[in-house]
Parts: sequence; C-alpha cells; structure tokens
Amino acid sequence: MDPALRRRLEGRLGDRMTGPVRQRHDETEIRIGPADVPEVLRALYDEPDLRFRYLADLAGVDTGTAMQVVYHLWSDTTPDWLRVIADGLDRDAPRVPSITFLWKGAEWMEREAFDMFGIVFEGNRDLRRIYMPPDYRSFPLRKDFFLPDDAARSPGAGIRQMERSHSPRDATSTTLVRRSKAG
Amino acid sequence: MTAMTRAWSRVSIVGKAILIGVPALIVVSIAAVVGLVILGPAALDFLAANLPLVRFVVAVTAILLMTVPSAFLIIYMEMKVIALMNLRIGPDRVGPYGSLLSVIHGLKVLMKEDFTPTGADPIVFTWAPVVVYMAAVFSLLVIPFAPGLFGQDLNVGLLYFFAMGGLTVVGLLMGGWSSFNKYSLLGGLRSAAQVVSYEIPLTLSVVGVILLAGTMSVNGIVLAQSGSVLDWFIFKQPLAALIFFIAATAEANRTPFDLTEADSEIVAGFATEYSGMRFGFFFFAEYVNVFIVSAIFVSLFFGGWTSPFDWPFPVALALDPGSLGIGLLLLLAVVPVVGTLVLGAPFWLARPDRPTWEALVLGFIAFNLVAVAVILGWAFISFDWAIGLAWFMLKTYLFVFTFVWMRGTLPRVRIDQLMGFAWKWLLPAALLNLFVTAAAIVVVAR
Amino acid sequence: MTTRPEAPLPFDIPAHPSNDDPRVTLEEQLGVWEAVPPFPPQTEREAEFYTLRDGEMLINIGPHHPSTHGVLRVVMKINGEQVVDLDPVLGYLHRGVEKIAENADYHQTISHLDPLEYVASLFCEWPAVIAYEKLLDCTVPRRAEYIRVLSGELLRISSHALALGFHALDLGGLTPILYSFIERDEIVEMLAALTGQRMLFNYFRIGGVNGDLNHEFMSRLGDWMSRAVGQVEANMTLLNENEIFVRRNRGLGTMDRETALRMCWSGPNLRATGVPFDLRRAHPYSVYPELDFDIPTREEGDALARFLLRIDEVKQSLRIIDQCLHQMPDGPVMAKLPRLLRPRPGRAFAAIESPRGEYGVYAISDGTDQPFRFRIHDPSFLHLQAFNLLMPGNLIADWMALNASLDPIMGGVDK
Repeated sequence: MDPALRRRLEGRLGDRMTGPVRQRHDETEIRIGPADVPEVLRALYDEPDLRFRYLADLAGVDTGTAMQVVYHLWSDTTPDWLRVIADGLDRDAPRVPSITFLWKGAEWMEREAFDMFGIVFEGNRDLRRIYMPPDYRSFPLRKDFFLPDDAARSPGAGIRQMERSHSPRDATSTTLVRRSKAG
Repeated sequence: MTAMTRAWSRVSIVGKAILIGVPALIVVSIAAVVGLVILGPAALDFLAANLPLVRFVVAVTAILLMTVPSAFLIIYMEMKVIALMNLRIGPDRVGPYGSLLSVIHGLKVLMKEDFTPTGADPIVFTWAPVVVYMAAVFSLLVIPFAPGLFGQDLNVGLLYFFAMGGLTVVGLLMGGWSSFNKYSLLGGLRSAAQVVSYEIPLTLSVVGVILLAGTMSVNGIVLAQSGSVLDWFIFKQPLAALIFFIAATAEANRTPFDLTEADSEIVAGFATEYSGMRFGFFFFAEYVNVFIVSAIFVSLFFGGWTSPFDWPFPVALALDPGSLGIGLLLLLAVVPVVGTLVLGAPFWLARPDRPTWEALVLGFIAFNLVAVAVILGWAFISFDWAIGLAWFMLKTYLFVFTFVWMRGTLPRVRIDQLMGFAWKWLLPAALLNLFVTAAAIVVVAR
Repeated sequence: MTTRPEAPLPFDIPAHPSNDDPRVTLEEQLGVWEAVPPFPPQTEREAEFYTLRDGEMLINIGPHHPSTHGVLRVVMKINGEQVVDLDPVLGYLHRGVEKIAENADYHQTISHLDPLEYVASLFCEWPAVIAYEKLLDCTVPRRAEYIRVLSGELLRISSHALALGFHALDLGGLTPILYSFIERDEIVEMLAALTGQRMLFNYFRIGGVNGDLNHEFMSRLGDWMSRAVGQVEANMTLLNENEIFVRRNRGLGTMDRETALRMCWSGPNLRATGVPFDLRRAHPYSVYPELDFDIPTREEGDALARFLLRIDEVKQSLRIIDQCLHQMPDGPVMAKLPRLLRPRPGRAFAAIESPRGEYGVYAISDGTDQPFRFRIHDPSFLHLQAFNLLMPGNLIADWMALNASLDPIMGGVDK
C-alpha cells in the first residue's frame, strides 16, 4: 500500500486510466484501455520516478463479458506490485498491441495468452500456438470452452481423432483410409 | 504315432535330455572313432607337414574364443567399478556379486528382436557391426600375450595394428550413414573425424619406440624390453607413452572422448537404430577395443609379458607326469574321489541337518577349485609362458581399469575441442618426441 | 460449464494443413516423416526458421531425449555441427492446470500445483497460499512462516544439488549426480518425515502449514546439519575445477544484464549476469526481512557462472536454515479459517523466489468457493525463450550444457 505511488500514477497517467487506482495489501492496480497499452507501459518503463523495469507476469483473463490482459510489474521505487489491467477487449475478436518492443521475454507469454484465449497481440512476430498443437481450433481457457468429452460438439471438433464422434452412423467417406498421392 | 507323442509329453525335461543326449553321444562317438581310424594317419601327416598353418588356426581360434569372455569381464568390471566410484552397489543379483551379469546381457541381446529400420540400407546396415567387430578382433592377431603365445609374428605388426584400428572408422561410418537417422549420421561423422584425427598422433608417437627397438614387429618390441625393468620403453619414451595413451582413448571412443556414443547428447550416436545382437556386436567391439588398446600400450611401453623383477626362488620344477606310467591312471581315478570326500567332510560335519549329497557336491566343487589352483600353480612355475601370460594380463587389466576409471570420473569434451586438441597439441608433441628420439639415437650411436 | 452445441467458431484460424493440404506429400514408399514445417508458415518467425538455406538441416532434439529435463522438443537448424537457429516446441506436458483450478476448491488447487515444478514443489504451493491469504485477509502465524521458510530453504538446497548433478550428467560425468543425490535423498527423507511425502509435498495450507515439526524431522535435520556445511560443498564441487568441465562451460550462453532483464529472466540465471535481483530482498514475503543472508551474484553470465552461483546460494540457504532453527517461535501452525473458503471478490498476485526464479500466481476470486481465474507464472518458461538468442553459433553439444545450466523444469514450463 503505497500512497506515493498512487499519486505518481495519477499524476502521470491520470488521463489514460479508465478507473481509480486501487490498492490492497501490497498491490496497486490500474486499468487502461487496450489501445493505450504501449504508451502506458513505455511511460511506466521510462519515467525516472516510476522505473517499472521488471515484467513479472503477463496474463490473459476471460471475465465472461470481456477479455483482459493483465501485466504485473515491479519497480525499485516502490514496495508494491503494480498491476496494469488492459480491460474491455472484445470477447469475439480480442486484439491488443504487443509489448515485445519493451520486453522481448513477453513474446512467449503473449503466445500463451493467444493460445489459451485467442487474444491477438499486434506486433508480435511469432504469434502461434505454444501449448496446443498448431492445428488446434479452440481456445482452452475461454469460459465457453468444452472439455474433450464433449469435444464432438465443441468448436475444436473434428481435427483430433479423439474429438471425433465414432459411431457408425457418423461415418463418412473421409474416415476411410487416406490414400497417398502415388496411389 | 499318437501313443508315442503322448508318451513323449509325459517324460520330464531331464528325461527328454537323456533320451536325446545319450543316443546322440553314442552316435557321435562311433562316428569319431570310425573317422579317426580311417582318416587319422592321413590327417596327421597333413598336419605335421603344415605345422605353421595348424599353429595359425589354433591361435586364431583361441583368440576368437578369447574375445568374448574378455569383453564380458571388462563389461562387468566397468559396471561394478563405476558403480563403486559412484557410491552405489552395481550389479549384485545375478551370480555372486553380480559377476554373471555379462553373460545375461549376452543372452539378452541374442533374444531381442532383430529388425532393420525403414529406409535403412539393409546390406550396409547389417555389415557395419561386423566390420567394427572384426576390425577389433583382427588386431588381436599381433599382440604377444606370452613368449611364443601370439597369433602371428608379422614383421610389420604395428603397422598392421594401426591399419586395423582405422578399419573401425569404416564400420562406424557405415553404421551412421545406413541408419537413415540424423542422429546416427551425426554420430558417425563425429566418430570418423575423431578417429582419423587421433590416428596421426597415435602412429607418430610409436615411431620413437620403433626406432629404439629397431623393428615394427610387436613381439620384437617386447623382446627388446626383456632385459630388466629399466629397459621398458616407458622410461625412455615417457612423452610418447602419454600421447599414445590419450590418442588411444580417443581411438577406442572412451570417455572423455566418447562423443560418438554420447548418450546424453545424441542418444547412442551411430548405434541409435541398432538393437539386439547387432548392437551387441558394437558393444562387444568397444570393449574388445579397450582390451586391445591396453594390451598394445603394455606391449609397447611396459614390456608386455616381461616381469619387472626376478623370482627369488628357482623357477623350474621338472615334473613330467608321463613318467608315472600306469600310476597316473590310478592317480586320476583315486584322487578326485578321495579329494571330494576329504573336502566334503567339513561341510558334512559342520551342519548336521545338511543332506549328505549336498555335502558331497560342495566337496566336489571345492576339490575342483583346489585342483585348478594346483594345476595353475604348477603351470606358473613350470612354463615360462604361464608367468608371462599372468604378468601380461595383470598389466593389461591395470590399464583397462584406468580406462574404466576415466569413464567414471571425467566429463566429455566437445567435438571442436577434441579436434583442436589432437591437431594443435598432440600432433606437434608427437613430432617433437620423434625428432628428439631420432636425434638422441644418432648422438648415442656415435 | 455451459454447453452450446451450435456455437459458431468465434475466430477462424485456418487449420494447420499438415493432414489435409494436398501440397504436402507423404512419402509412402519410405513411410517416414520429416520434422514437418508448417506449410504455409503462420508467422514471420516460422517463415524465417523453416526456410532452409544451403547446407542446413532440421534435427529434432527430443521430446524423447535423455537430457531435455522433461519432455521438450527443440527443432534445431544445424549446419554440420553448428546450430544456426532453434525453435523450442512446448506443450508435451501441458496438463491444463489453470483450467482445472477453475473447477476446484481453493484447498484443492494447492495439490494441483505440486506437479508443476515437481523438483521443488513447495515453491509452487507458496505463492498460491500467499495470494489466497491476501484474498482472505488472513494472517499466518509466525511459527508457520518460519516452518515454511525452513522447509523451503531445505528444498532449495536439494533442488540446486539436483540441478548441478544433472548438469554434470548431461556433460558426461557419471559420478557427481550420485553425490548430489546423497544430499537430495537426505533432505527428501527429512521432508518426508515432516510432510509425509518425498516429492510432491502438498504441505502448505491456506493460513499455515499442515503439521508441526516432529521429533523425527528434527533429529534428521540435526544429524544432517552437524555435517552439512563441509559435505554439501564437497559433494557439489566435484567438477568445479575439472579442466574439461570448465572449458565446456566457460563462455557458453553468456547473457548480459540488459538482455536478461528484457527477457524477463529471474532467479540464479539473472543473478549470474550481475543483477542482484532476488525476490526475497526485492519484494520480501514471509519472514525473510528478519533473516540475515546475502544475495550472491556473479558477473560473467555464462554457464560456469550459473553453476558456481548455485553453489553459493546453497551456502546462503544453510545460513538461513541455521537462523530459522534458532529463531523459531512457538505457537500454532495454522490460522483459524472456515472449512469452506469464500474469499472476497478481488484479485491477488504473489510471487516468491523459487530455485529457478520468480514463481508467481495471480488469482481472481469471484466470491464463490472456486477460483475464477488462476494464472501461474513459471520462470523456466522465460529461460527457455532465450535459446534463440544464446545458441546460434554454438555446437549441438553446447545445447545440452546450456539447457542444463539454465535448469528448466518442463512441468512448470508446460503447466
């Protein structure tokens, strides 16, 4: 709980924040819109009295109504963690600018958020799936994701062998043996 | 027929063995006697006329038969010694202290599935282990185990030895290439580069020894060291010995130069796709290589079969068993029985609940051990080749132990460090040694 | 879980056409597969990586490999023996822990976290319990905090011993790992006496720890401490000055401070580059403010520095354990909390210093008895990212050494 930090943040970023600065225990939280992410984080990085140089975590969150990207930062100017929530991403087409220009290490964390939620980070050179196979079609951590037991009815249906329905009346000609080009 | 089948199935295993074995034994004995009677004299004349050929065949057979047990012994030694260095126990279930482990491993590789991976060239794939194994075995031809106990005394023996060492490269490359596997390819290429690089310091370092001994025959080199301990070439060529040892470690693909089979890097290198007896061949070949390399090191620098000190007591004990005549037969008939009874008595008396037949079996085993010890002791003091062989084996296994010790202790070098070491350090050192030796010989001769 | 069978695809990512693309030919005659490059490549980086120039080839290291510290697949582009580029492929051990945690009670999530960094599992439970305690606004008794620190530091020593042993093993030395495992075995037996488990401890609870110190633990700990200081070092420094080992590791994977911070590195890997960032001092948690210990750093930033730094950290951990034993207060080991936990709706983040780096948990609670979102931040994930920077120009054998010196645990990387 660092009131000095709160004042500095409000002074520097007041016009970007979409809500009040919240502080609880040893965490300070600010909310911004997704388009402001690069400037806000660059300001937090560069300002000499803020100096949030260490990115502790980059997480995606699906709140059911919107998507969020949550950044946790550490600075040697304050004993608090700073949580920056980029709120209000559209659940159907979430897009947010990438921060790989500041921290190269965010590349894989953004890949993970993309893999789990479908959040597209614009500017990430390598935005592909990291945990799931590259041809997987759904996003596991979304709130409307189905477990593979019901996967035949889920958006990821049809690709994996296990996710296909195996009853005889669902057999089609493509479930037969695949021929090679030679034969 | 069904009555016979049923009767057969009711016979126990032992019964089946007896029912098959005894008639087979009788037939074979009759055939052998008949063969000897008819062909005997002619065969003996032929053999007597071609004694060197006979000697060669016997030597080669003995050597071939010797490779597998020595490989077994070295495998067991490696596992046990490295385990003890690692503060663990190692094999200790199969046989006393795990000594039958190698036998079980041998049986295991024989029983595995024999396959060729898809895409592999079947002929090359099959012949690669054979080439590697045979290269190892061929080298044993020129090693003198004892005075008079060598395969063939080639007067270019050492050159032949190094040629056979180079033959292993062919086998490794064949294995690596034909496996249709990138890991194997890498392993094969690494090994080719390694062996070829280390051949040169290896051969250059022994040229000094050749100059000193005046001959390339390994037997000749050993004979040149047979004066006293100080005649051993280790004292006259210490640098060469060091270079040879290091280069030989690389030739034998042993740690720290075991990148070809670095099992934490490229799984098993060139041998990744091999299983069963094919892998067994590679495996045995490596250990036979260790033995060979130690044997040559001992022959070249440590006097081979010469002993470092003289026996303090008179050696020859003229005991000619044939002079006993009929008494020999009596001895052979009576001594085993008496020995079994005498040696079984303590077992029988010590534990009253032990069945008598068990005590007799233990006595028989004890008698066999005593008899073997006595015969070996008599051979040791009567035949000079026995002493020589014992010394040779002792020294060789000392260096085998050193190889095993290095494996348990040292990490691996990288391929570029390895090649750099060979070309930048060992080769100049070997050349330096050669020049100094040649100069010294010229100076001393003058 | 809602089920909407007719939900349209929210987002049409074209399926990877490896199975269906007619341009990809299966070599039926041979029946063998290449490390299939995605075709067409989906990102810039893939296109750059999977374009092979003259003399380059793709080789798979893993996922089934003796020295990948778990199931990690690395597609390497090599030119002979030299590595030109690397593409780590993760996900072979992905268990969906974050999703499972959304369906589990708060107490149950603790035991789901153990298998993440299975070598040092108490450090996986710790940030979660801290985060939950923040959400519940409960204080942990001091004795419980001291026990947490004590068991954590013991586990840190054990984990570093394991890391050093595997480093040596990957380089070909067969012996140091067994010496390290002597230490690890003793510590693990101690912790088994304390927690009941040798490996996945499930010991920390929300509000404290599961059980108090017992006689067997204290006697084992006393025995070990009486001979620990010299022996631990001796067991882990078998290879310190071995010429071969030093030449393999010196100058390998040298990371400078700035790049390490940009890659979000933490833990011993970061401290080996010279940045004295340790969460126990940078953002103190538990009772670390009361304990006296140093933060060892090294300047070189190569694999040898990381190796030696882990040994230094073990010495510091021994100091901490000593102080814990002397300063251990009396009291309860568990705070009074209701059985069914319903924290206030809110968000909490906690991060601790695990033997690998910063281990973080971000928990969102919506007032029910199951977490709404449970995010785990693993340090090894980010260390692996640096392969692309550190490897090119080195040889394949160097990858094993580098991987071992970075000490990733794939359970945490893949979650």
